[in-house]
Amino acid sequence: MAGSDEVNRNECKGAVPIHTWVLISNFKLAYNMLRRADGTFDRDLAEFLDRRVPPDARAPEGVSSFDHVIDTSTGLEVRIYRAAAANNAGAAAVTLPILDFLAGTPSPDPFPVILFFHGGSFAHSSSGTAIYDNLCRRFVKLSKGVVVSVNYRRAPEHRYPCAYEDGWTALKWAMSQPFLRSGGDARPRVFLSGDSSGGNIAHHVAVRAADAGISICGNILLNAMFGGTERTESERRLDGKYFVTLQDRDWYWKAYLPEDADRDHPACNPFGPNGRRLRGLPFTKSLIIVSGLDLTCDRQLAYAEGLQEDGHHVKLVYREKATIGFYLLSNTDHYHEVMEEIADFLRANL
Amino acid sequence: MKREYQDAGRSGGDMGSSKDKMMVAAAGAGEQEEEEMDEMLAALGYKVRSSDMADVAQKLEQLEMAMGMGGVGGAGATADDGFISHLATDTVHYNPSDLSSWVESMLSELNAPPPPLPPATPPAPRLASTSSTVTSGAAVAAAGAGYFDLPPAVDSSSSTYALKPIPSPVVASADPSSTDSTREPKRMRTGGGSTSSSSSSSSSMDGGRTRSPVVEAAPPATQASAAANGPAVPVVVMDTQEAGIRLVHALLACAEAVQQENFSAADALVKQIPMLASSQGGAMRKVAAYFGEALARRVYRFRPTPDSSLLDAAVADFLHAHFYESCPYLKFAHFTANQAILEAFAGCRRVHVVDFGIKHGLQWPALLQALALRPGGPPSFRLTGVGPPQHDETDALQQVGWKLAQFAHTIRVDFQYRGLVAATLADLEPFMLQPEGDDKDEEPEVIAVNSVFELHRLLAQPGALEKVLGTVRAVRPRIVTVVEQEANHNSGTFLDRFTESLHYYSTMFDSLEGAGSGQSTDASPPAAGGTDQVMSEVYLGRQICNVVACEGAERTERHETLGQWRSRLGDSGFEPVHLGSNAYKQASTLLALFNGGDGYKVEEKDGCLTLGWHTRPLIATSAWRLAAP
Repeated sequence: MAGSDEVNRNECKGAVPIHTWVLISNFKLAYNMLRRADGTFDRDLAEFLDRRVPPDARAPEGVSSFDHVIDTSTGLEVRIYRAAAANNAGAAAVTLPILDFLAGTPSPDPFPVILFFHGGSFAHSSSGTAIYDNLCRRFVKLSKGVVVSVNYRRAPEHRYPCAYEDGWTALKWAMSQPFLRSGGDARPRVFLSGDSSGGNIAHHVAVRAADAGISICGNILLNAMFGGTERTESERRLDGKYFVTLQDRDWYWKAYLPEDADRDHPACNPFGPNGRRLRGLPFTKSLIIVSGLDLTCDRQLAYAEGLQEDGHHVKLVYREKATIGFYLLSNTDHYHEVMEEIADFLRANL
Repeated sequence: MKREYQDAGRSGGDMGSSKDKMMVAAAGAGEQEEEEMDEMLAALGYKVRSSDMADVAQKLEQLEMAMGMGGVGGAGATADDGFISHLATDTVHYNPSDLSSWVESMLSELNAPPPPLPPATPPAPRLASTSSTVTSGAAVAAAGAGYFDLPPAVDSSSSTYALKPIPSPVVASADPSSTDSTREPKRMRTGGGSTSSSSSSSSSMDGGRTRSPVVEAAPPATQASAAANGPAVPVVVMDTQEAGIRLVHALLACAEAVQQENFSAADALVKQIPMLASSQGGAMRKVAAYFGEALARRVYRFRPTPDSSLLDAAVADFLHAHFYESCPYLKFAHFTANQAILEAFAGCRRVHVVDFGIKHGLQWPALLQALALRPGGPPSFRLTGVGPPQHDETDALQQVGWKLAQFAHTIRVDFQYRGLVAATLADLEPFMLQPEGDDKDEEPEVIAVNSVFELHRLLAQPGALEKVLGTVRAVRPRIVTVVEQEANHNSGTFLDRFTESLHYYSTMFDSLEGAGSGQSTDASPPAAGGTDQVMSEVYLGRQICNVVACEGAERTERHETLGQWRSRLGDSGFEPVHLGSNAYKQASTLLALFNGGDGYKVEEKDGCLTLGWHTRPLIATSAWRLAAP
């Protein structure tokens, strides 16, 4: 139906600034080429197209980063970001502060450690992908803390529960590093955070942490990826309208979930028919950010409600006119106001 | 016939002209930069001129329409799956950072005519190799032909070591110059109006192959801030345990003492290193040992340093061959360079490759194989192999040529070889690279110049690089392939160099540990695998020693980054030829075969390909051609 296609396109273009439209459309078109109807994924082309940046110890804009393999058996790598004085000096001069940081004793002043899981619907991107490197740098600046971005294994090559396993490994690693401890009580002040699939991972890792008695300061979820077999109202209403279609959502779930599973698998639908309620569990506090033009917004709102019903603290930030990916570019009020909310949440729960 | 050339002490003359070129290029860069790149998207890895933003948005829309996407009911309802699949599978993508060109190239795919049939020319006459300077009826010893054994499954369909003939069709015309012609941008089939492809971003089309004409006189910054602070300093932390950190601290402190010429402090520190190193295992222990030894040499001024003598050439080649076996870096280098050469040679009937460092000639069997298998048959192939003088009885340079000639004979490729002995590449003159004889009726030969880990050595002699690049320009090659270590081990202070190389070689050695357990798919006895790794460590150890303990003309391991080479080559009249997604995919496939571990990673960066370990690129392949005057 060409007419309504055009209407959709114009509505979408009208809803976002041109940079956002260009960026997200570029992803949409590229990703469309990568998903094959038979469920396989063109990983080589995906890696070729992915725009990455190296870590930089030189601290451009006051944030220094370096990569570290935290589990040699799986090759699980993280990128660690921290504030540092910007440095024009040579390699030695930028390396020494990192060594000092790693060898340092716990800091008396508390700082947050944000364990970040990038988005990409379980299949795309990496901790080195430019959009996520950029976001992590932003988080360092607003949190005055350390960000640990986890390069988890992706679908369809690595299905459930690999991403969750990697998240758990990263959490245990972070909890055990002396240089990530701070405050008078010298403990790690860890927040779990992620967008899209990263938000989903953050939730499941937080559940496991609660089960294990590991204390998390808070969860920060941006357009967390959830689903279910039934279609919700927003899914029907917004299908294909703002960069995302139900067809692609279904593809990614099929690529991540076990082969015989449907979308009521608890990974996808944590409070659904096969899910598990969290009443009585020492589950952490959540800051849940939802875009009104994300076709799965109903699911995210239901998730937030589910947590609240079970007695857990939720701060919900609902941006009615925001699309997916608004947090990747600093060109909207959505971006700036949400970053404020995140900063407030971090401060309040440190 | 062997030719030897004494160093004629070239100097001065070429510097003036290349300086002029530098100034012209700089002026050009200034003009280009007036059209500003959008900063917001640049920070995210995409280079779009601010003035092009609306145009790019429009092109994205057109592409979306062409792909039949975005309708209610999902993409499937109206999606043009054939077109999407074509874009994914058959199309070669180049330089995705240049969003405008990338989208444009995909739009052009919509209207590309059916590929032309390959020319029905008869196969080139199969001359015996007797015209070669190599064979004169001499019996060739088959001993040691092992390096030319291709991996077991070497038939064209199944081998991934052998280069596949490129999927896009051979250009119909035999006239080499036509491959550079730019076609008119096509009108869009769907949507209103014509494509407003700005002339600067239109692509030349070859039935699916497109090239973004990116000419960069200055290294591009992927982050706006990076330009202010200089290139990124990657630091891969090997160990967050206290002992590991103390070791690195001691190494850096010792290097700093050396830099400050505080040799008593340096002496005290260098003695601590072996004990600290012994607390480590694996790669870190070995790296620390090599760096510690190199520091000691510098502190105590041992002479001579291991690889400064030309007598070492045979040893160097030997270690190089083991390095080739034990890890994929050299295989990747050869593979990606060969891919670019193969594409540049498309449609050419006479080709000439100049190898600036032939060693055992490991790069060439695969290229010969690919040429033999290409549609329309192989060209006649000439190889000039440059090597250093030998001080023993063997004529290694000629032996390499003999073996390659034998191999070429078995796969029916007309082959000629010339060995050139040169103590330094700066001794080469254009006439040495011209064909012998005076056969004006023959089609002019199309030339590829190939340099794997050779250019950085020239930086030890002022003026040498410029001289060599001038020689290269003079022979007017179709393509120049360059492989170099992706690191800055040349500029800055000694301490900076020490630190950068410490990070670099730590990563290198780490990758060898990962690869140590399994070698290539060749059947080799387990001992060989272990030997390869040890020899590779020695090979790298010699580089470490050179970087740390040598200075001046002796310090030949002057590695520089892609960004730095881009400047140097751009200033000398070359422009990039982008390596595309086809080369990327094939390189990735090659890596997957390698038993060494999942840590190896191919990346695309501004049209070049790098191979690294985890997120740290370690070597980079780039391709170049003469810039339009």
